[in-house]
Amino acid sequence: MAAHRHAAIPPQKKIHLTIPTLSADSVSCVIPFSRAGNLILIKAKADTTEGNFILDTGAAGLVLNITYFRNYPASTLVNEEASGMTGTVAGVTRTEVKEFSFGCMKTNVVSADLANLGHLENTKGVRIFGLIGLSVMLQFEMIIDYENNLLYLHRIAKKEMRDYKSTQLKDTAAYGIVPIEVWNGKLITYTYMAGKKLRLIIDSGAESNVLDSRLPTKIFDNVEILRRIQLVGTGEKKVDAIYGNLSNLVIGNQNTGSLPVIITNLEKACMADSYCIDGILGFDFLSLHKIGFNFVNNKMYIWK
Amino acid sequence: MIVSHGFKTICLLLLLLCAQQLMAQAPVKTYTIKNGKMFIALGKDIPAVSLDSFIKKYDLGDLDLQHFIKTNQPDSLHKLGWKVDIDNKEMVVISKPLFSADNLSDPANKIILTQKAANDLLPIANQVHFGVNWFKNKWPFAVEDSVVTFFLKGHNNATVVRVAGSFTNWQEGALPMIKVDSGWIAFVKLPTGKHFYKFIIDNNWTTDKENALTENDGMGNDNSVYFKTNYTFVLNGYTKSKRVFLAGSFNNWKPNDLLMRPSASGWSLPVYLSEGTHTYRFIADGKWFIDPANPDKVPNEFDDFNSVVRMGNPYVFKLDGYTNAKKVELFGSFNNWRENQLLMTKTATGWQLPYTLGPGNYEYRLKIDGRLIADSIGNGNLALVIAPNFTFRLKGFDHAKTVCVSGDLNNWNASSFQMKRLGNEWVFSAHLNKGKHTYKFVVDGKWILDPGNKLWEQNEFSTGNSVLWIDKD
Repeated sequence: MAAHRHAAIPPQKKIHLTIPTLSADSVSCVIPFSRAGNLILIKAKADTTEGNFILDTGAAGLVLNITYFRNYPASTLVNEEASGMTGTVAGVTRTEVKEFSFGCMKTNVVSADLANLGHLENTKGVRIFGLIGLSVMLQFEMIIDYENNLLYLHRIAKKEMRDYKSTQLKDTAAYGIVPIEVWNGKLITYTYMAGKKLRLIIDSGAESNVLDSRLPTKIFDNVEILRRIQLVGTGEKKVDAIYGNLSNLVIGNQNTGSLPVIITNLEKACMADSYCIDGILGFDFLSLHKIGFNFVNNKMYIWK
Repeated sequence: MIVSHGFKTICLLLLLLCAQQLMAQAPVKTYTIKNGKMFIALGKDIPAVSLDSFIKKYDLGDLDLQHFIKTNQPDSLHKLGWKVDIDNKEMVVISKPLFSADNLSDPANKIILTQKAANDLLPIANQVHFGVNWFKNKWPFAVEDSVVTFFLKGHNNATVVRVAGSFTNWQEGALPMIKVDSGWIAFVKLPTGKHFYKFIIDNNWTTDKENALTENDGMGNDNSVYFKTNYTFVLNGYTKSKRVFLAGSFNNWKPNDLLMRPSASGWSLPVYLSEGTHTYRFIADGKWFIDPANPDKVPNEFDDFNSVVRMGNPYVFKLDGYTNAKKVELFGSFNNWRENQLLMTKTATGWQLPYTLGPGNYEYRLKIDGRLIADSIGNGNLALVIAPNFTFRLKGFDHAKTVCVSGDLNNWNASSFQMKRLGNEWVFSAHLNKGKHTYKFVVDGKWILDPGNKLWEQNEFSTGNSVLWIDKD
């Protein structure tokens, strides 16, 4: 099994997220979260507007629901190369938040996308003020405990950037370490399956795992097809997809067992620069064990 | 590339043929994915039962494969984007490419595309119309007057046991349970309807393992569900029937859903029914019939009748005058606009019909001797709101002739909910369920956002809809 090999870093065109400068002081807190379905909802405040935001490692940065941030000055960036904050290639409406805070974390001057999240509210039945994406977390160690609905956050200070570890990570035998990286505004890990190197997004904003239908047939030898499903996006347009159970996926050195997965064509999820992803690891993967991320040292911790 | 693709396809078809040879004993039925396409291979000799179970298993109903196997006519398959790759005496192989969903790289779109299918997709149901308890191995909790005896079996070694639920504001008002021989009990006064609960056994929260009914609260927790019932369906006799089911408007007429329980005199089923008018029938060993003990019935679409149960106080529909008319009938959103069902009764001064409706916004029409009643509203529908809990207000527009509110509350009908002028504003009181609502005002035919509400979201016409959240039922 080649899966435990460290993945070589692929050629990168451009990382669009600005790595934030680490601050002098560290801050730690535990944030209890509620859920909308299987998505993590945390209370956050953008300037004076407070409400529930979805913690979405699949979004590149902060996204504000324009319904509640109507009076923010917006600049439209048309056809920005490789996507902008939301990853969309078309025009992106960008604004700026002077202060963004959640739990004990406070950030000054955050660039944010303004988007209509009305359809998302309709499917979840709750107010959603925005999405907290990757760029907000880049200074953090973040541990997600889905079983107890708790989020452990630590903003890593400059002086501890080399070796900071939560006390929960003291027992090194209790968890495995998997390399991660931020690539084109996505949180990525790599693995091998049936001789093919897979580039997978780690996405707390996806409830299901996803696999690209265009992968080699050998990969699908590991899938037990359960049924055909139809995916419905915002425009009510439906596309066929397959729901099944994926076996023999190894992340780090842990076999994920039988993992529910949606098989769909991920062609349109490719970046403008033609770099594609092979799949998404969402809630059905993330909630298997306690899971943590050190975004400064590019490590993912998966408890056994 | 084309040659290579063609070669791949030939290899694939050969593979499928080989598979068919190998499985010559059993009828071929496979659903696979290769090269970005779905493939379905079926033996021509597949028995109907086997084909049905294949279609059901993989949720392929819309393909109408039974028809295709029978007639060999692929037209409907072509319309759905499927291509016939092999069609010989022994088998048929069809395929369809899996297309990419639009805009998967947009985070909001991606969240929706990857959310769990079917039930989990729906937001928490805010309005409960119907419920039936489903306890394992025993009857539901004993009820006397309005006091429910919650019961937890066993756990004799526990020190402190409490029951917490929607009725105790969960932990805050959790009620201590009393130890008895067979377990723990608590007496709780409850209104009729749906309630959520959990037991706390020595500080450990648990659902009721004796209760098969649980529901996720949408925030990752499962709770037990208990319905304080308010009506019991009773069918006397039919003691020789093996199974008797109840079906009605409250369960979308699903025939094998609500199994009645044997009772001393026949069959019975206690249920919770919301306010309003409900129709139903019984099904004994597959045979449908109305409730022989209930004289209240309405005609149905099968030239037969449905039995009626009415919960709550009736609203009396009235029409003054027309005393010379022979027949006045009522139909509306509350009876799916079905005509020849609700006939009004003549009084000394006009016509009337008592009809029970739960809280909500309704539209209706009246037909006098076969002619629709004329009125000032453009589309002829009249509005009726039962239990209004929110008032739409639009200030100004003094010179407007008609102002209406339109939104999800009336399926965006532009003229049925006409606002009234009160002082310096236009008002309309409606019943809004808990959750999100979108609406606009229509001033003399022109659609506008609510100028008094700063929340709005974009719509498909790029003209925006006002947004309103109701936080409590």
